[in-house]
Amino acid sequence: MNNMSETLIQTENLCKTFRSGKLETPVLFDINLNIRRGEFVAVMGPSGCGKSTLMHILGLMLSATSGRIFLNGADAATLNESDGAKLRREKIGFVFQRFNLLPTVSAYQNIALAERIRRRRRDNQIHEVLEAVQMTDRADYKPGQLSIGQQQRIAIARAIVHQPAILMADEPTGNLDSANAGNILGLFRKIHLSYGMTMILITHSETAAQAADRIIHMNDGRIEERERRLNI
Amino acid sequence: MLRLAWANLIHRKVRTALSVLAVAIAITLLLILVGLSHGTLNDVSNRMQSVEAEIIVRDTNFDLGTLSGGKLWEKEIPRFQNLKIDNRPAIQRVMPVFLGRLKLAGQSQNVFGVRPDDFQFFAGARKIVEGNIYEDVDSPNVILEQQEKQNNLDDNTLPVMSLLIDQKLAAAADMKVGDTTYYGDLPAQIVGIVETGVAGRVFAPINMLRAANGIAAATCHMFFVKANPEFNTDQLQTLCEKIEQAAKRDATLVANYGQIIKANFKTLIIFVNLVSVIALVICFLFILVTVYTSVLERSKEMAILQSLGAGRKLILSQTIHESLLICSAGTLLGIAFTFAARYFIETARPLMTVEIRLSWLLGAVVVGIVGGIFSALYPAYVAWHHDPVEALSFE
Repeated sequence: MNNMSETLIQTENLCKTFRSGKLETPVLFDINLNIRRGEFVAVMGPSGCGKSTLMHILGLMLSATSGRIFLNGADAATLNESDGAKLRREKIGFVFQRFNLLPTVSAYQNIALAERIRRRRRDNQIHEVLEAVQMTDRADYKPGQLSIGQQQRIAIARAIVHQPAILMADEPTGNLDSANAGNILGLFRKIHLSYGMTMILITHSETAAQAADRIIHMNDGRIEERERRLNI
Repeated sequence: MLRLAWANLIHRKVRTALSVLAVAIAITLLLILVGLSHGTLNDVSNRMQSVEAEIIVRDTNFDLGTLSGGKLWEKEIPRFQNLKIDNRPAIQRVMPVFLGRLKLAGQSQNVFGVRPDDFQFFAGARKIVEGNIYEDVDSPNVILEQQEKQNNLDDNTLPVMSLLIDQKLAAAADMKVGDTTYYGDLPAQIVGIVETGVAGRVFAPINMLRAANGIAAATCHMFFVKANPEFNTDQLQTLCEKIEQAAKRDATLVANYGQIIKANFKTLIIFVNLVSVIALVICFLFILVTVYTSVLERSKEMAILQSLGAGRKLILSQTIHESLLICSAGTLLGIAFTFAARYFIETARPLMTVEIRLSWLLGAVVVGIVGGIFSALYPAYVAWHHDPVEALSFE
């Protein structure tokens, strides 16, 4: 396991306002966060509270309006587009509510493509993650030929194939029935224990949030309270 | 990345096929238009340059491109035929050519009226494959007087004019030795077939051709001048200048005929080039719209790639790859279409020449690649500026 005392993600007075013409929509207000390496954190809150926006900013998919973000000690403000993409490529994995698999290629190719973007071709690694998510026998299927639970497993395999330092999941069980949701959350726990990666789970579900070590509650773009839990 | 671009194209088979077809048609149009116009001009030029002569003398008003205009007189020949350069006789032979027109194989053909003795210089290495060279009368008057007599006697047995045609025309007109046709009111018979490549597709005895045109005088349209074979280009150029001074006519090197004819048909070539460019622009606009639509459709896919760590450069290259694949496939198909089109054109119209040069094919490939890149620029710009977070939030 990694050293849990080391801060991996830190934000200082993070704010985000969306602008469309003259219309300004503030979404995040003074977010101050500390997430330690190897921690499993759930960010929980009602729809529209800004938790997905927070994840996109932490994942360098979106820039903050003000405030600072430190990822692995690096100030995100100093990163250009290319450096940001590189950090995302090497250190971060994303899992989305709607899976976001490429429909035109097979499950295997979806994972291999992610590796090609990293300019790597590690067939063994791909087979290993397919096995970890129990999808080896569906490797040649296209996403449209898989059930939604299976699609999410492939999406998870794609997100962890490069063993990122941080795995970010945005409502990963939002589109699943309770049985599949339970399996996926179990899979997240298993991955967390096996790989020891830092995980950020964005959810509005109390049940899903219970999978995490710590739950951060958000409301109206602000962090309301921090709750520490211990998952055994 | 190429694999993903390929998978995207395969995923949208009909649209991809239509795009490839659009490029293929544009490339075919480009190559056929250029090949047909240049092929025809080069064919005429090569045939004219096959004459074993170095200089063409003509009236200032005679147009070498259309082979029409002012005439010459045979009696002008002595003005220059004894010219000397560096104290050496400059001219070996002067060959008058009288031009006529005859409709054969569905189109008007230039008839080269030349003396039987001169024909060997027009044939060069090409042989008469069937029949023989024609004979001529001493003067057009022989025919004209005979015609006059027969008209008065109401006699239908008119004198017959002999013709030599080339193999290509014989095949196109489905004619053989012994077949007859008419030159105006005068019956004409094929007496020989010569290998393709001679200056004219139809040759006739010069005096008979004059008579067939109702001309009794020894006029002609051009003199082909066979110069001293030891002369170099500079001496030939000097000879041209001396002929012009002596004969008060225009003299041109046969070797320059290609340039002259191309200058003559400059407007046609500009028109052909313009049509080709317009065809290409329309084609590449089509590709632009196709790739642009594809980019709009796949903004989510691009956002996924970005979430996986793809930079904007990779997104850009993905868009360009796709466009390049369409254009490359279209170009190759277009080249195949071009060969097929040439086969059909030359089969249906044997007298047409579609020239296909390797340099033009390579040019078409370059045009395809450059066009593919240009067509992808705007869609790539759109892809570059799209918001991945917004795209990922769409269903």
